[in-house]
Amino acid sequence: MDLIQSITDFAVQEPAIFALIIGVVGAAVIAAVVNVGAMLVIWGERKVLSDFCNRFGPNRVGGRWGILQLGADAIKLFTKEDIIPGDADKGVYVWAPIVASIATMLVAAAIPFGALHIGGKDVPLVVANMDISAFYVEAALSLMAIAVFMAGYSSNNKYSVLGAFRGIARMIAYEVPMGVCVISVAVMAHSLNLVEIVQSQTLWYAFAQPLGFAIFVIALITDLGRIPFDQSEAEEEIISGYNTEYSGIRWGLLYFQEYNNALLGSILLSLLFLGGWQGPIIPIPILDIVSPLIWLFMKVVIVLWCLIWVRASLFRLRIDQVTDLGWKWMLPLSILNLGWAVLVGSYFA
Amino acid sequence: MTNANDVLSSIQSAFPGAVLDSKVESERRLWATIDSKKILDVCKHLTSKLNFDHYSGAAGVDWIARKEMEVVEIMASHGAHQVVAMLKVKTSRENPSVKSLTGLYWNANWYEREIWEMLGINFEGHPELYPLLLSDELVGVWPWRKDYKGYPDLTTGERAVQITTPEGYTEYHIPPTPAEVEAGTVVVERPKYPSFREREEREIKSDAEMIMHLGPQHAMVPGPFLLDVLVEGERVRKAFLDVGYIHKGIEKIMENRTWLQGITYTDRMCYVASLSNNECYCGAVEKILGLEVPLRAQYIRVILEELSRIQSHLIGTGEFLTLIAGVGYAPWQYMIIDREQIISLIESVTGARLTHTFVRFGGVRNDLPEGFADKCRKVLPYMKSRTEEFIELFEQDPIYHKRMDGVGIIRPDDAKRMGVSGPPLRATGVAYDMRKEDPILVYPELDFKVTTGTKGDSADRIDVRLREMLESIHIIEQCLDKIPEGPIKTDVKVPKKVPVGEAYYRVEDPRGEMGMYVISDGGDKPYRVKVRGPFYATFQTLTPLLEGVYIADAVAIAGSMDGCPSEADR
Repeated sequence: MDLIQSITDFAVQEPAIFALIIGVVGAAVIAAVVNVGAMLVIWGERKVLSDFCNRFGPNRVGGRWGILQLGADAIKLFTKEDIIPGDADKGVYVWAPIVASIATMLVAAAIPFGALHIGGKDVPLVVANMDISAFYVEAALSLMAIAVFMAGYSSNNKYSVLGAFRGIARMIAYEVPMGVCVISVAVMAHSLNLVEIVQSQTLWYAFAQPLGFAIFVIALITDLGRIPFDQSEAEEEIISGYNTEYSGIRWGLLYFQEYNNALLGSILLSLLFLGGWQGPIIPIPILDIVSPLIWLFMKVVIVLWCLIWVRASLFRLRIDQVTDLGWKWMLPLSILNLGWAVLVGSYFA
Repeated sequence: MTNANDVLSSIQSAFPGAVLDSKVESERRLWATIDSKKILDVCKHLTSKLNFDHYSGAAGVDWIARKEMEVVEIMASHGAHQVVAMLKVKTSRENPSVKSLTGLYWNANWYEREIWEMLGINFEGHPELYPLLLSDELVGVWPWRKDYKGYPDLTTGERAVQITTPEGYTEYHIPPTPAEVEAGTVVVERPKYPSFREREEREIKSDAEMIMHLGPQHAMVPGPFLLDVLVEGERVRKAFLDVGYIHKGIEKIMENRTWLQGITYTDRMCYVASLSNNECYCGAVEKILGLEVPLRAQYIRVILEELSRIQSHLIGTGEFLTLIAGVGYAPWQYMIIDREQIISLIESVTGARLTHTFVRFGGVRNDLPEGFADKCRKVLPYMKSRTEEFIELFEQDPIYHKRMDGVGIIRPDDAKRMGVSGPPLRATGVAYDMRKEDPILVYPELDFKVTTGTKGDSADRIDVRLREMLESIHIIEQCLDKIPEGPIKTDVKVPKKVPVGEAYYRVEDPRGEMGMYVISDGGDKPYRVKVRGPFYATFQTLTPLLEGVYIADAVAIAGSMDGCPSEADR
């Protein structure tokens, strides 16, 4: 009790320093949660994808579920020789994976990872609860494009540069409709704050604006660079695309950020369209406190599972078809959806 | 229907004196020695008057005892008749040179280049006589001549320079260093020609273009070959093909092995189609020997070759799917898992999964094991339902159609002109199948259709392969019903030394028309074995086909050909 008392006293006396400390601690927690989560996503993808393909997947390291496979991979990546091509633009080459990590951490900072149900109220778990967090998250997500371009362009490799150009062309074509979809949601929710967007969803926005939901899902897959939109690293065409020249832990970082993004993207999708952590409270002590967390977790797992399902069953589109789809179909349709959101939103307001 | 006699008399009446020597082996085989001055006219006559629109290949033979070289042009027709004309052109051994047919037949290019680099026969009028399979420094040693002693020529030490390395190893150095040139150790001068790299760099017209390698080690290639694309942004402006990365010299090796040992080498040409390679070689030798294959053995051969066709198409289609969908695409794994059942069936008979060495002269190695028919009857209906599922899957997939429809279209006329064979040819609508055109074994007694496509694009090529699997299943089911009891080997003792003679034998490989030209000089080894591989024929069409497409499509087109560079290079 003394400890809590002294902390409260400190918070009252030095609010600025206290906020800083909370921020730093929160950042550390977020970094740990996101990265551990991404590891689980990688493991899950390998397991689920191999199930789709009628194979076993990792089943040696760490028992029959291969749960320690990622640890073994990480050790391998950390101990591998760090190769930087002689002709590479060294500064940019070295910084690209770091920029990618920063980009995902920026996203993670503003995303609510759920809520705790305390005293009949949902207390959201979010490090930076800002007024425009939906907008901010959308902007921070597109920073990844810069990291991809840095990696591809600085490698001085033909495959990499093609991958980088493909990545940029794709991201630009899909960031715009994605942004318009976020705005449509914000219009209906009368807020750009992700917490308020979740709280305003008495009816899931996936049902209130199905068109926007569809466009957002497609744009999200594109943003994550997954099949059928993985042109920037289509291995059968351009080896590995933008990260061809990377090896060891630098490659590991780039690879990891894709799964970080997949995790964060799935959470964002659940928050914006699938009602976030909302759901019936489980009437069991202790479980009722974390029941919003459980609901969000289940939704995220289902979204991720669907992403893997898509990968197992769809062909890759050609880059010109991707940009074609983005500019000629997704953008006009997303604007149509915005009109719908404005109409319905103002009617129910 | 035109037969070999009609063809011969037509040539003789049109060009009196042009045919120096001739032999009508059967209704479908004509052997003729043509005056080297008249070969172009004779070929033109054959193509325009007698429907010989299929230039099937060429073989070079070094007759060292007769002090002459021979080029054998193999001509056939796409369905108008079934005659194969083997036109021989003789030339002196000192300064061998014949007229090039590249002006008449587009696909003569590679066949003549190969003969030139291997035997040193010059082709007058050939536009690009550069080495194809061999590396640049090997040109001028003419490895397939009968007096070739190995490389470097250690018997005389003429070209090789012996150098002791600091570690104490002995190395033979070719090409020579400038110091070796100064010392005069290098005697033979090599012909001058631009290297592959120079040839492609000549084509770069602006800074916006670059050459991108798809191979020899690349996720796209089914085996090592170099496909260089000159790209401007995402568009391929021109494609360059360099093969020979897996050249094993199998034709030359077979000249140095006994007749029986040769069978094992045919396995290694393409291990997913080793049974039809076995069949092709053994069939040719049986033809020279005049052996009759017992009926039961014929049925066993047909069953196994069709099983082998199914598994080859499964892996070919599966690999193609990974090229346009990534390795995470589930149906590709399903195909590999299904293929395993077929492989097990073949394994239960031959004892090997890939390199079977099962066919023998005048029969097969062993009989079908007990219960094989029951096992087959269990697997085949499953296979059939799976194949139908795959066909339906691709028919209904909108992204697949968006990616593949109209990609890499070959028109029927072009396909004939360029000598495409197998499913890529049939996808254009040309019903050309060796099992119908040049029937062997018991194929004439079996009921099956030749699968054809309509558009000739990549989607069609895959569709034709999948529907061909259904036909193969149908063939095997018939064979299982019809197969008689009896011996599996001929009663005649197969002699160690094969009598003097020559034969050209064609089978329908999973990839198309596979032909083998076998010559015996009466010894215990073949005098010459020429393999006319199906993918070698389809391979060279990639270059014109890839012009102007997107990189992603270039990969898909190359994949839809179901390539096997190992068999093309031999």
